[in-house]
Amino acid sequence: MERFKLGLLPFTAIIFGIFVLMLSVYIINSVEVFHRQGLSIYTTNQWVASEDPEKERYGVLSAIYGSLYTSILAVIFSLPLSISFAVFVIDYAPERLKEWLIIMNDIMAGMPTVIYGIWGAFILIPFLRDFIMYPLYRLLSFIPLFSFEPLSGYSYLSAGILLGIMVTPFASSIIREAYRMVPFTYREAAFSLGATRYEATKILLGYIKPAIVAGIILAFGRAIGETVAVSLVVGNTFNIHPSLFAPGYTISSLIANQFGNAFIYRYMTSALFSAGLSLFLIGLAVNILGMYMLKRWKHG
Amino acid sequence: MDSPKNATNSLTNSLTIRIIKEKIFLISIAVFTAAAIIPLFHIIYSVIVRGIPALSIEFLLGSLPAPNDGLGGIGPAIAGTFVLVFLSSLIGLPIAILAGIYSAEYPNSILGRLTKTLLQIMLEFPTILVGVFVMQVVVIPMGSYSALAGAFALAIVMMPYVAISTEEALKEIPFTYREAGFSLGLSRFKVVFHILMKMARKGILTGVLIGMAKVAGETAPLLFSAGGSSRIYFAGLDKPVGAIPLLIYNLIQQPYENYHQIAWGAALVLMLIFLGIFIPIRLKIKEVKL
Repeated sequence: MERFKLGLLPFTAIIFGIFVLMLSVYIINSVEVFHRQGLSIYTTNQWVASEDPEKERYGVLSAIYGSLYTSILAVIFSLPLSISFAVFVIDYAPERLKEWLIIMNDIMAGMPTVIYGIWGAFILIPFLRDFIMYPLYRLLSFIPLFSFEPLSGYSYLSAGILLGIMVTPFASSIIREAYRMVPFTYREAAFSLGATRYEATKILLGYIKPAIVAGIILAFGRAIGETVAVSLVVGNTFNIHPSLFAPGYTISSLIANQFGNAFIYRYMTSALFSAGLSLFLIGLAVNILGMYMLKRWKHG
Repeated sequence: MDSPKNATNSLTNSLTIRIIKEKIFLISIAVFTAAAIIPLFHIIYSVIVRGIPALSIEFLLGSLPAPNDGLGGIGPAIAGTFVLVFLSSLIGLPIAILAGIYSAEYPNSILGRLTKTLLQIMLEFPTILVGVFVMQVVVIPMGSYSALAGAFALAIVMMPYVAISTEEALKEIPFTYREAGFSLGLSRFKVVFHILMKMARKGILTGVLIGMAKVAGETAPLLFSAGGSSRIYFAGLDKPVGAIPLLIYNLIQQPYENYHQIAWGAALVLMLIFLGIFIPIRLKIKEVKL
């Protein structure tokens, strides 16, 4: 092996080392709670913190539920926006506007998440509560989806919409890149058969469908890993409720809120590490799947 | 058998429906595109409107006041953000750039491919997990929150951005330049560092600046590593240090009106820092991968 390659190896190894060490730290620190409670740490919703270790019981199901619920809402909210944005930029925007739209997209993608959080907490929540949640609650509270009275506005819906706004630029970048790569001849062929713009676009979007799915999956991964913005709007309540308006927890907001005082208790740190481990593995699986699908579509 | 009149009506109706669908489609595209962009303008508008009343020299230099005791300042948080970005760059940049070079130079090796994939995974990694990890391996052994721990956490967040942009910048250089260098008898080290790196300099610098802008705005990795400091500006590498995003996050959750106003002011400062770095870079290059 040549000296240059050997010289670079330590730096590559450091990155691998950090990743492996991170995973190890989470597994090692989760073992204690696994020994004590087994998988009930993931299948129950309880948070009995006590200075008497005998009385402690933890279950992070509500956080897992909240993470999945809000991330699914985010993706549902984001999908039409992402696709529309991608189609508009590629097909309809004038050249100058196109450039600025892409710049704005990138600014949104890079904006510090705490700024989304402060906007979400003080602007978005009052708006959603007064103009979306209460009207729906008054009209449709007999439906479980709308059955929780939105007293504060901190809720799965608020978190889902805020996360949706945050992941839209990311998903639309992926979809836009794929859409741009559709060979021009396909478009010409569609129009030459007399297709309307709607029909032609539908055909072209069908062509890049795997890339859209990959974009959705990666957006889901990003949404589920978000901490700061979501913890400011989700309500941080140990709660499992079908209603969009109910407050809840996510894994990352649970960690952010509880770790500060976890060391007072014998088993809480281990419980939080096991929650982190589940987030680690979910995030890993989702990102690998999304990247794999994207790569396969590009080379398929 | 249908009469010619019925056939004509049928065709006309079908065409009408198709035209209506197209119009609905175009309107939907426009509305959803606007809906995707409007939050950005509303966020910027809100931060400016609510943040400007707080802005003053005292606000930038002073320290946090008591609850309900006016606006004071966010000086320690601003100082802390710059310290953390500087330190995390010091730690993270060399590793990231060299790992990116490896990935670009040996794209077909197993390690090269794994490195690229791992960097892409780490790009999307939940940053709260980085914060907890650094707490466990740095803060607990050290016995306290510290600037060093915060910088280490931010370095981990920064490295994938810089490494990937380095790799992509190097890959864009035509192969003929590499061949020309080798044909002159230069070693690979010289080819990479004297020729390719100089040509890729702009792309790498862009990645570095975006990575720095990114970590300047990070909150989650700092929650359990930097500790936060709202009244002491800088007390040493081994002592807790403030950061603007961390301050904003903490103040939002307080029940005091003056703290909320300070949070908005700090958000304006943070947004100006971010946009001040990001927009100039962005206008100079085609696209950014974030």
